[in-house]
Amino acid sequence: MKRRTLLTGAAATLAATPLARPHAQKPVTIRWWYHFDDPKATPDELVAAFEKENPGIRIEPENIPWGGGGDYDNRLYTSIIANNAPDAAMVKFNNLARLMEMDALAPLDKWIDAWPGKRDITDDLWRLHTAPDGKRYYMPLQYVVLYLYVRLDLLAKQNLKVPTNFDEFLTAAKALTGGEQWGFGMRGGSGGHDSWMPFAFGTGAKPVKGGFVSPAALAQNRFFIDLHRVHKVTPPSAPTDAFLQIVNNLKAGRVAMTVHHISTANTMVETFGDAITAVPVPRGPNGSGFATFGDGSTCVFSASRNPEAAWKWISWLSTGPNNVLYNKAAGQMTVTTSGAANWTLHPKRFVDATVQSLPIAGVLPNLPQTADFTRVVWPQNTQKALLGQIQPDDMMQAFEKLFFG
Amino acid sequence: MLAPALAAAAILVLLPVIDTLWLSLHDVILYRPRVRPFIGLGNYTRALADPVFWESLTNSLVWVICAVSLQFTLGFATALLLNRNFAWRGIARALVVVPWALPSVIIGLIWTWMLDFNLGVLNNIGVLLGILPHSVPWLAQSSTAMAGVILAVVWQGFPFFAVTLLAGLQAIPGELYEAASIDGAGAWGKFRHITLPGLAGVIATALLLRMIWVANSLDLILVMTGGGPGTATQTLPLHAFLTAWSGGNYGQGSALAVLLTLLLLGVVVSYVWRNRAE
Repeated sequence: MKRRTLLTGAAATLAATPLARPHAQKPVTIRWWYHFDDPKATPDELVAAFEKENPGIRIEPENIPWGGGGDYDNRLYTSIIANNAPDAAMVKFNNLARLMEMDALAPLDKWIDAWPGKRDITDDLWRLHTAPDGKRYYMPLQYVVLYLYVRLDLLAKQNLKVPTNFDEFLTAAKALTGGEQWGFGMRGGSGGHDSWMPFAFGTGAKPVKGGFVSPAALAQNRFFIDLHRVHKVTPPSAPTDAFLQIVNNLKAGRVAMTVHHISTANTMVETFGDAITAVPVPRGPNGSGFATFGDGSTCVFSASRNPEAAWKWISWLSTGPNNVLYNKAAGQMTVTTSGAANWTLHPKRFVDATVQSLPIAGVLPNLPQTADFTRVVWPQNTQKALLGQIQPDDMMQAFEKLFFG
Repeated sequence: MLAPALAAAAILVLLPVIDTLWLSLHDVILYRPRVRPFIGLGNYTRALADPVFWESLTNSLVWVICAVSLQFTLGFATALLLNRNFAWRGIARALVVVPWALPSVIIGLIWTWMLDFNLGVLNNIGVLLGILPHSVPWLAQSSTAMAGVILAVVWQGFPFFAVTLLAGLQAIPGELYEAASIDGAGAWGKFRHITLPGLAGVIATALLLRMIWVANSLDLILVMTGGGPGTATQTLPLHAFLTAWSGGNYGQGSALAVLLTLLLLGVVVSYVWRNRAE
């Protein structure tokens, strides 16, 4: 009896020593991949604050080159195939379907439902973050909704009001075109699909099976292409203009309106002060509209050895003040209602235009072809249509075929 | 004695080639790592049935022929100039190598902004001098985009010919020119009967090498136009890259790479044959 007691006591003592429980002392390391548009921005402050609150978890952030999204995504896929994926990463909707097909994502529903911060994120955002199979693999982290920048001073000179529908938009674009100034800064180059979608799906068509070739989408796409080909309210370089061109043209006064999002609001205000504003993208005659949702989310990978700790980190990033701090570095909008209420990073009118656009916010189909659509199929076909090499309807047929066969 | 070299060649060249051939016979999608069925020549028939392949092939021919011939002409002229005696010749010889020493991505960005419709310095100068009535969207029109990227690659590549041919020129004995002068040969006669024959070997090797490099290169086009507008500047290697990298279709991308290699085989064989003959 004495001997057994002694042995039990010794075993208990041994079990309590650091040797027997090395994890008690050694913190769990979470590898986290991210990318910020601003190369000077770092997550160091966030990481330090999290590690202070959670001494058992160490975050190892890795800044991955973006390369238009393609570099980041392909590094992610290859790391998963090589069994060297991070525990958690920043991700975008356009690679959700591919990551699901690889069984690379851990479902977050159980954790989200038990998470105290859930109610601080709007239902619109949770709706957009629900995967086609009804589960949630992505955690909202940052977002933008594309809106319309408008030069109020130029509109006032023409006695025009801010356009709210496509007819008013065309009227304004025509009136604001002349000499070396164009009414609309169209983005036909890289990333242009985001500013095309509000036009193509603005009168009720949806980016679902059959939606690309529905009469409403075809008509609206013709309207979009005709802005360049027929009405010539866009710069001649529009077929290849990308982010830098549309932003610089607006800042240089060469275009009067363009579609972008809140990440450029401050630079616009620096240039124009109160003479520039943002409004939700034009709507159709029946009040329908489509505002492109630009997500920035986080996920936990199914191969993570420490999924609970990874979840702790990504949920911490999406919590009230932490998310505000994060988005100060990312330059985008906080996903939390509490953070948005006291948001000071951007002037209020741009925040309002973003939040007002949420009810009509939508995304491309969550399919494996989406990444190829955004990088290759959309620019190639749209540029051909803008240059008159194919008809606008042909490009929509090509999109429908890519997505739905 | 040859074993280490053969082993290195096998690891660095043969294995990737065999792997690419093997991939091209399978349906390899990056995001479907567990499924890669053998489909025989399926990727090849699909590639050849795609009109984009033929567009890319045509663009490749235009790209290689125009770029290499213009690089050669400009490089040869520069080499002849640098072979003469003039003040600051050493500095001129050093400066001419600068475009060759710059990374392609930097050159692509420089030329993209120089040709830019809104802010480009070439449009600005053209309009100021009255050469252009208004700015031209060089890279946004299918009629001028290829010329724009060729201009950039000519600027990047002419120093290769200049330096190579200059070395060849310096190897031609000066006595030959002196003897020709005594015999009454003019400048054209000396160029035709001494310079050109003396450089023939160097020219052939340089042309073959440069053709292979230009035919394979895609970085400059990728940075400047991404193959656009539409597919106006999409060459075969860029088509293969986009298929594999953006589409995640490594099987089809490998098939396109193999087809490009087969097309280049004629040039490669000529190069190897020349080396063996020498």
